[in-house]
Amino acid sequence: MDRTLVQFIKALRGAGVRTSTAETLDAVAAMQLVGYGNRDYLKQALCTTLAKSHDDQLKFAQIFDQFFSFNRFESFNEPRTESKPNAGTPLQMLQNLFAPTLPPAPAQSPLGQMLLQGNPQQLAVAMAQAADAAQVNQIRVMTQKGLYGRRMMMAMGLEALEQEMFAAEDSADPRQQQLGERLREAREQLRDEVRAYVEKQLLLQAAGESRALRESIMMETRLDNLREFKDTQRLVRKLAKRLVATHSRRRKVYQRGKLDVRTTIRRNIPYSGVLLETHWKTKRIDKPKVMAICDVSGSVSQYARFLLMFLYSLTDVLSNVRAFAFSSNLVEVTELFEQHDLDDAIAATLERIGGGSTDYGRSLNTFAEQCLQQVDHRTTVIMLGDARNNYGEPRIDILQQLHQRSRQLIWLNPEARNRWGSGDSEMKRYQPYCSWAEPCQSLAQLERFISHLLRNNS
Amino acid sequence: MTQDISVDTIMQGFAGAGYICSPAIAMTMLLAYKLEKPVLVEGPPGVGKTELAKATASLLHYDLIRLQCYEGLDEAKALYEWKYGKQLLYTQLLKEKLGDLLKGAHDLPSSIERLHEFGDVFYSEDFLEPRPLLQALRAEKGTVLLIDEIDKADHEFESFLLEMLSDYQISIPELGTIKAKRKPIVFLTSNNMRELSDALKRRCLHLYIPFPDAALERSIIQSRVPGVNEQLRDQLVNFVQQLRLRDLKKQPAISETIDWARTLLLLHTDALTPELVESTLNVLLKHEEDIVSVKDDLRGLFAKILPRG
Repeated sequence: MDRTLVQFIKALRGAGVRTSTAETLDAVAAMQLVGYGNRDYLKQALCTTLAKSHDDQLKFAQIFDQFFSFNRFESFNEPRTESKPNAGTPLQMLQNLFAPTLPPAPAQSPLGQMLLQGNPQQLAVAMAQAADAAQVNQIRVMTQKGLYGRRMMMAMGLEALEQEMFAAEDSADPRQQQLGERLREAREQLRDEVRAYVEKQLLLQAAGESRALRESIMMETRLDNLREFKDTQRLVRKLAKRLVATHSRRRKVYQRGKLDVRTTIRRNIPYSGVLLETHWKTKRIDKPKVMAICDVSGSVSQYARFLLMFLYSLTDVLSNVRAFAFSSNLVEVTELFEQHDLDDAIAATLERIGGGSTDYGRSLNTFAEQCLQQVDHRTTVIMLGDARNNYGEPRIDILQQLHQRSRQLIWLNPEARNRWGSGDSEMKRYQPYCSWAEPCQSLAQLERFISHLLRNNS
Repeated sequence: MTQDISVDTIMQGFAGAGYICSPAIAMTMLLAYKLEKPVLVEGPPGVGKTELAKATASLLHYDLIRLQCYEGLDEAKALYEWKYGKQLLYTQLLKEKLGDLLKGAHDLPSSIERLHEFGDVFYSEDFLEPRPLLQALRAEKGTVLLIDEIDKADHEFESFLLEMLSDYQISIPELGTIKAKRKPIVFLTSNNMRELSDALKRRCLHLYIPFPDAALERSIIQSRVPGVNEQLRDQLVNFVQQLRLRDLKKQPAISETIDWARTLLLLHTDALTPELVESTLNVLLKHEEDIVSVKDDLRGLFAKILPRG
């Protein structure tokens, strides 16, 4: 039973429930306590030791039902098709007329006997044993289904069954022929059952792992190639949720050990200056105010898309996100993103300002005219762009002002560091006025950057 | 408590203590008792998370020690504190005595030598103020320790609890490691204000208490407000169950259903009427927008709960 439990936990992990070894041990202890007699009790006991959040519990219930479901093999009790007396050639008809009176020959091969006797429990056990022998739980990808199905059938003794079946079909004895027919039918049924079993295993074992693999690939893929993947948005949400969990509700940090002398003295005036009550220093953590200025021209727009996706998934820990998009000129798109679905908002933004050659100088100027007053010492300004200005005036003086007024100015560049400053890229000239500048090519880098942004805001 | 406890005996015991629970809750309690593991209880507010700890305490005849968590809670308030005031007062009073003691010592080293002979009198048990966690560890009798709303405490406090939860012991720099005399039954409750750390979850059994279904809620009302007659009980439970299906800012919890049942009892009603519901809706719903939206659709709701009328 312990081995079954380990397999079950593997399936559980595959589904995304994080289960540690300590919890597995708890589950074993709980199982010994509760016993296997009552399915509901067992389920409840495992649930309470293994699934540690409401989401996990829902997943647990699903996996439990899938994993511990039994095939009843009811279909084996009766032959699927009744032999019709009027079917076939005249000779067969004649044989059929006589045949029912004669009982069919008993099967000789062990598998054949088992199938024809149709004992469902025995079959279920045999199938589980065969699955073990064939190591079906190692299945990883869809294309292996046939292979593992075949291995399982072999482990159950298919060879002997087929030999007997062919021999019976070839023999002249009608009883033997009838046996052959029934064996063939039973084999087909078994094949269906095995296929279903393997499919279920694939679902349990491999689904989670292949998803984890895909996610890890997605994390490292360059963002402009990422649109080929389907569930990027789900992944971004998952990452954002993790960031929110680590950074929310830490608005105040108590620094034990650092005495707040002024408050302590004031508090102790009633005790005529004897220091009875102590008061420690505290530190407040502000929610970052963020202004994101994104280049949405050409290839860079994909990167802007992901940055904005991230920022707008983080509204719980960011107080005030304002988004600006520019190409040849700049517009504020905050409202668009607040009111519309992300994809629609991005499409609308591109429609409004897409096209035209990128002009960093003019866009920065527009930004300065509109919003420079609102940039204060609590604002984090994020620039996202490749700084390729088509040899226009870069207006470095505005960036310098921004740098001076804001808490920090961060430049995210979708190009690798060694390409900065090459050709019409003004990155080398902008860089001195950035608090820091980072290449931002994959979701992993983007996540690291945002985590840094949230952490460093104390 | 007898040896042969099972899910059924626990359910009966709780029912005797006035707490009606589902088999899931009883199973978790059984495991918590047998495996000596803390229980993390989650669920929407007002489904009886705190009540569960109280019922357990009264069922086992244990003392209940409660620690309410909040932002900024630290070990001085949760574990122990030195009685600064008392220490200060004693040193002031003993000033003269100190002179006597030190008589004959001429230089500083010999006076300090003299003081050392008296040991750390000011840092002994007499000056130690035990807070809930220490109380629970030092109790001779079995106790139920309720750490309420752990999600409101800081991350640091959560990490601080880990030693206590896994080994039932705590290290105090001045006194050494204190082990539990008898392992307390520990409950942690959380309203999901924030995600708790995996380390904490790993050490606990997990119990999610959802809103009860109609049958369970009826028996809860029957147990808590026995004066309500059967017809009214069915009606009011159905009404609350219907309310929970709606998109409300705050859904009415069990505690609110109980309050409402008590209110209706006070008003000597036998059956619900739209007018009555309208005037007592503020017992159930705590937000003005919710009340307004429900009032607008009161007739529709009534049609659902009273198919015959």
